[in-house]
Amino acid sequence: MASTAESTRRNDQGRLAQVVKWFDSRLGLSYELLRPVPQYAISPFYWLGALAVVAFVIQGITGVMMMLYYVPSPAQAYSSTQYIFRDVSYGRFLETVHLYTAYAMIMLAFMHLMRGYFVSVHKKPREVMWLVGMVMGFVTLSLGFTGYLLPWTIVSKSATDVGVGMIDALPQPLSSFLSFLIVGAGGDAMELLRFYDLHVVVLPAVLLALLAVKMYMLESHGISEPAAGSSLIPQKKRRLVPIFPDVSLYLLELAALFGSAMLLMSVIFPLDLPPEYSPQLAAQYTAQPDWYFLWIYQILKISVFEGAGLPVALSIVTLIFIVLFLLPFIDRGETRTISKRMKFVTLGAIFVTEIAALSVWGLLTPGRIIPDEQAALVLGGTALLITVISVVTYRLFFRRWASGIASSGKVSTPASAPSASMWAAGSFVLLLAVGTFAISSTINALMEMIVQGPAIRSLPSLLLPLTELMLAVAGTMYVLHRLELGSESIKRRIAALR
Amino acid sequence: MSKMIEQMNPRIVALLLLLGLLSVYFLWTLNPVNQTSEAIFALFLSADLVSFSMISYIYRVDKRGDNASRGLLLAGCCMLLLLLLAGLFL
Repeated sequence: MASTAESTRRNDQGRLAQVVKWFDSRLGLSYELLRPVPQYAISPFYWLGALAVVAFVIQGITGVMMMLYYVPSPAQAYSSTQYIFRDVSYGRFLETVHLYTAYAMIMLAFMHLMRGYFVSVHKKPREVMWLVGMVMGFVTLSLGFTGYLLPWTIVSKSATDVGVGMIDALPQPLSSFLSFLIVGAGGDAMELLRFYDLHVVVLPAVLLALLAVKMYMLESHGISEPAAGSSLIPQKKRRLVPIFPDVSLYLLELAALFGSAMLLMSVIFPLDLPPEYSPQLAAQYTAQPDWYFLWIYQILKISVFEGAGLPVALSIVTLIFIVLFLLPFIDRGETRTISKRMKFVTLGAIFVTEIAALSVWGLLTPGRIIPDEQAALVLGGTALLITVISVVTYRLFFRRWASGIASSGKVSTPASAPSASMWAAGSFVLLLAVGTFAISSTINALMEMIVQGPAIRSLPSLLLPLTELMLAVAGTMYVLHRLELGSESIKRRIAALR
Repeated sequence: MSKMIEQMNPRIVALLLLLGLLSVYFLWTLNPVNQTSEAIFALFLSADLVSFSMISYIYRVDKRGDNASRGLLLAGCCMLLLLLLAGLFL
């Protein structure tokens, strides 16, 4: 009996130790901080999240300057924004930079998320980092949503009304909680004040707190290794560089270049203030959310989701976010290599392409209800195309590369590796851009044909993008083919993907 | 060639610092509530940030004992030239 009790106590201790070990390995409670970073991580792809933080800092600075003049009441919000534009020193510049860095922050956060997805940074031991990062992503989107209303223009108020209107369709108690949080007792004044408070106090504070947690965990776990491990990386690239001054200076350089790009954007595309919101003007205006919510809005515009179907559409969008959030517990396979994760890589590629297609489509069809068959054609067609490309790539090329590398039996490091990989990456980016434009033009041409009816004269506008698309696919296949026949350095890099 | 670049590095840094100082002085002379001035301000500030980034890059690779990439330095100089010319001709 005594031995059973002893054994139970040991088991309990063992379980407790396991739990403590799990938390330690995920939260890095006993790890060394400010650890050096491998040389291969001195690349912008490893610091997309850091650039999003730079964007947040720029927004903080420009936002505080605008806070000195902005008045959060429906009667004065627009006039105070107009005052910033017209009378404050460099006011238009501040507004423009604030908006564009917000856009850049959202785009960088999305790129950071998708890069993490494709190279599997969500896997052990970084599951908690992924969860924190996802919450930071939601907060970033909320910052965009709440900030958009503040100028009180016809564009911003109408778009916000569409978003707020969707809250009622959400399931309880989420609907009540969000209504209480952002609308309060109701009325424009209450809504604007709450949006302002959330935008300038609550959400930045939450984001900063989450950032601190994520930075701590980043320091604890260190930079994630390449998907195939670091053994295929040359020794020189694996040497460790200290945080101070090397990595810090590198980040400063990136931040300065990013700031410079934002300033240049503000010169090339200066912001103009749209007219002030009024219910009369709103009746004539087609409400459209900002670009980062367009893909959701486009899903909601599909005719099957109109009216009673709205909760279903919102549930689908919520499900997408939940799946992304819980990804570390869904994609639990040990391997991080891209060539062995066909299912998840294909799903990721479909997700990115569908978001891009829906956003472009939403931009081209403001306020128009999308017929079900059109939606099925575009969304299904895009998914099918990506699946076919992915299956062909995996079945034909990755397998052949694998056998090619296995038969060559050695991995060499010729001096031409950087330029060869740069050319390969450049070709892929170019082909991707051509392919994206071709897909969007094909969708556009197809929609016009469906709306206006098929006609011979509209055939060239469909054939041209289809030819472009075929050329992009053929070009991709050619590049892949050439890569297989290319130097050992390329093969080594492809092996790294495995 | 690499020795020449090594010798050039401190001079490039000195030139970039001078450029930064001149542009900051010029920015103070602008009318801050004019849209063209705002564009000039943004372009010169942008040029300052690029030159800061180049200074930091040269210092970092110098300290590590490596050579600064000719391609990157050339790209930076071209960018600076473009920004300054755009600022001057606005």
